[in-house]
Amino acid sequence: MKKFFLTPALILFALALVVTGCKQDEDQPTLPPAVANEPEVITTLTLSFTDANNVQPDVAATFRDPDGDGGGGPDVFDNIELVANTTYNVAVTLLNETESPAEDVTVEILEENAEHLFCFVADGGSNITVTRTDTDGTFEVGLQSQWVTGAASTGNIVVTLKHQPDGLKDGTCTPGETDIEVDFPLIIN
Amino acid sequence: MQVFLARFSAVILGIFLTASSLFAQRACTASLYGKTVDDHNGEPLSYSVISIAGTDKGAVTDENGAYRIEGICPGTYKVVCTHIGCDTLILRLKITGATRKDFFPEHHAEMLDDVSIVGRIPDAQSSRSETTLTEQELEESKGKTLGDLVKAVSGVTTINNGSSIAKPVIHGMHSNRVLILNNGVRQEGQQWGNEHGPEIDPFIADQLTVVKGANSVRYGTDAIAGVILVNPRPLRDSAGIGGEVNLVGFSNGRQGVVSAMVDGNFARVPALSWRAQGTFKRGGNVHAPTYFLDNSGIREYNFSLAGGYRTRKAGVEIFYSQFNTDIGIFTGAHIGNLTDLQRAFEAEEPLLPADFSYEIGRPYQRIEHELFKTEGYLRTGLLGKMTLTYARQYNLRLEYDKDEPRNDSIAALNRPELQFEITTHTANLAWEHYRRHGFKGTIGIAGIHQGNTYAGRYFIPNFLKSVAGIFITENWKLDSSRLELEAGARFDYVDQQAFRWENNVIVSPEFSYQNISWNVGAIYSLTDQLKVRFNAGSAWRPPGINELFSDGLHHGAAAVEIGDENLDPERSTSFSLSGEYQTERLQLNVDGYHHHFSNFVYLVPVLPPTLTIRGAFPTLHYKQLRAGLTGADFTLRWRITDRVNWTSKASMLRARNLDTEEFLVQMPADRFENTFEYRFKDGKFWRNGYISGTVLGVLRQWRVPPNSDFAPPPAGYTLLGLQLGFDVPVGQQAITCGVGMSNLLNASYRDYLNRFRYYTNEMGRNISFRLTVPFAILRPKTKSQLSPLPSKSISHLTQ
Repeated sequence: MKKFFLTPALILFALALVVTGCKQDEDQPTLPPAVANEPEVITTLTLSFTDANNVQPDVAATFRDPDGDGGGGPDVFDNIELVANTTYNVAVTLLNETESPAEDVTVEILEENAEHLFCFVADGGSNITVTRTDTDGTFEVGLQSQWVTGAASTGNIVVTLKHQPDGLKDGTCTPGETDIEVDFPLIIN
Repeated sequence: MQVFLARFSAVILGIFLTASSLFAQRACTASLYGKTVDDHNGEPLSYSVISIAGTDKGAVTDENGAYRIEGICPGTYKVVCTHIGCDTLILRLKITGATRKDFFPEHHAEMLDDVSIVGRIPDAQSSRSETTLTEQELEESKGKTLGDLVKAVSGVTTINNGSSIAKPVIHGMHSNRVLILNNGVRQEGQQWGNEHGPEIDPFIADQLTVVKGANSVRYGTDAIAGVILVNPRPLRDSAGIGGEVNLVGFSNGRQGVVSAMVDGNFARVPALSWRAQGTFKRGGNVHAPTYFLDNSGIREYNFSLAGGYRTRKAGVEIFYSQFNTDIGIFTGAHIGNLTDLQRAFEAEEPLLPADFSYEIGRPYQRIEHELFKTEGYLRTGLLGKMTLTYARQYNLRLEYDKDEPRNDSIAALNRPELQFEITTHTANLAWEHYRRHGFKGTIGIAGIHQGNTYAGRYFIPNFLKSVAGIFITENWKLDSSRLELEAGARFDYVDQQAFRWENNVIVSPEFSYQNISWNVGAIYSLTDQLKVRFNAGSAWRPPGINELFSDGLHHGAAAVEIGDENLDPERSTSFSLSGEYQTERLQLNVDGYHHHFSNFVYLVPVLPPTLTIRGAFPTLHYKQLRAGLTGADFTLRWRITDRVNWTSKASMLRARNLDTEEFLVQMPADRFENTFEYRFKDGKFWRNGYISGTVLGVLRQWRVPPNSDFAPPPAGYTLLGLQLGFDVPVGQQAITCGVGMSNLLNASYRDYLNRFRYYTNEMGRNISFRLTVPFAILRPKTKSQLSPLPSKSISHLTQ
């Protein structure tokens, strides 16, 4: 009878000792990880404009926040300056410049184009029409687009990248989570 | 004279108790027996009175110090041991079968010097408001989070992130301002974060006490708003092996909880006791009244082991516990930017429809907490007792974002986007001296060493923290006086060093703080029923590492939070005044308090907003200001008849920024709760049966600073709840059954302190079923063999 008392207790204590030795932490607070940033960020958005008729000069507009969200603000935030009554072919480039060399996020978006959608929404005063020209097979994507300018105007255009995984993509900008939202000043001369 | 008086009063009481116990119910067959022994010299104490509060049962110890009380209905009771010239001992005890309990009253030191004192001297009381959850409150909250448990105390509420993460809020303060003592050890994890719940298995708690008001003198910095004491069941001190199994099921989330405990004590080696305990919990998506919340499930498994070798002179206890959980974070609360937040807020229902599932996907949190504690005590002659405690805690927190990395090879690693690991060593040495010339107190030293490392996204840096403290508390009470006084002081030295990269160079700024906390208090008994408590004190805490260094977009808060390395320590000066009126049928507590803060650390919105590639986010800076928090808590318990009880609780708080005369954000709204309970007559198959209905009313929190929030505070709400409970006697044990219903009317509502209130309604109706089955593997012999003398438990013998 008394043995019956002792055995479970001894097992317990042995177990306690074993388990205590288990979880080791890396106890080196003096060495923080060298890359102290979000594992994956988009730091740079560039819109590259080429005149479909090769008459007007190429234009580029960039938003660049080299340390990602928070920290320092953007160091490059261009206006989009276009020529009136012109049709531009526009390509979007995305970079992660916290890496060296910079990582081209455009490639990742292209791979997962069925989960992504760019939206271009100009305010009422801007004389511009934007049409996405590429497709993921079902819906448009927006990495390539065509911007047709009208008469001279000054306004803004919001460029949005929505992440719409798990079949959320329905061709509209409503579902999903916003990865990019940049409100560019738009000047048409 | 003294001896004669002791005998006389004991005999009278004994006759009275014996007479009344003749009318005890026959069905109640449990018994309580044991010895009372002088704590100082181990001599048996005759003429001690043992009584069971709330019943007419009691006994007086014989010349060998032995007593025996028969005919007790199985259950949990408050047992009181009084002996002339000793502090009264009160403890809660579960009595099933033949239960042994020995008492070790401490003679006041004067008594040992043969100084004659006549009268009964109560144990030291606290001049603060201390509330211990009742057995019934603990029972009804089984299976819930620790935060939800302590909500039963008026003046305590929670700050939530959905349904699974609940942080206790005392008088409007939380995180770095509330200290949780898990088994006597400061709980150290990532408690600075609003979305980081306490890493404790609530089933460990046999006793849960909330101390409202600063208690930094005893427990160290950070205990500015209050302390939550989570005490496990004391190690078994009667021979045998027994335990209990708890089963809880919740309809909402289809959650199931199994928790079991086994403890034992050796008949042959009565000093040796052990206990093992474990909990497993699994729940799926919870349901708001009209929709499921995607990815809101939880998985948890915890266990603890304890052992002790305790004799009257000295003893040692070892405790080990592990807490492991995966908590799904409602996907609808994960947003990319403010446009998404606005859209989610305006939508009637979450934009992502969901069904029921037990699966936990991204985003989720994985948390592990490990505690190893060892404690030893040694009696230092007739003067007092020395206790040495060492504990090591390891806390790992992994947070997985909603989306995997876009890069497939990185995604394949499935690493958390945010990882913290924190290891804490704490050591305490305290010497408690017995009452002498009216004084009873403790003097001690405490030390902490802590290291934090992170991986993934930067939010707080790596750091090392060291703390050293020394304290003294004294309580004064003469037997004849209605006044009891207490005072304490503490000095702490805190050193924090952070390590982080700045322009490719490691910088390691170091911060040292030293400061004093103090506290004075008085308890005055105007009559035997009416007591007034007053407490005044000053406490401080060093700025938290997040307040110094956080720098970045806080996804949970949709804001950029920026720390300030130049923050000064925060200091509070607090006053509390409580009145307590207690008769046999009525208990009324009113606690008024005021906290005045200098250098109150507070997130202040600063212009301009931070522009990111996702759009603009509000910028919040950690600043310091003067703050005033004034409030009152109210509790009434009234046994209207023998069958009908009424419990009423209310809490009110006004919290102001004294620099701008604006209100402070995120403060709990006024709450009112009323419970009516009907207790059934014991039947053949059930005992202690009751049914109760609760109405909880929470007002709208309109006291907020202007333009401080993405959305206005939600409307107030009223919720109905129902509880049913009874014991089924089986042999000498009793199985406890219960059914609970919360949000009975399935009301759609949002709570101001739930950070998911922008995205979803609170949980809908939830029905819970509880079953507690005690068991005995080896019973002690029913004949009271009192020769071997088990020792007293280290923890919470006295309340």
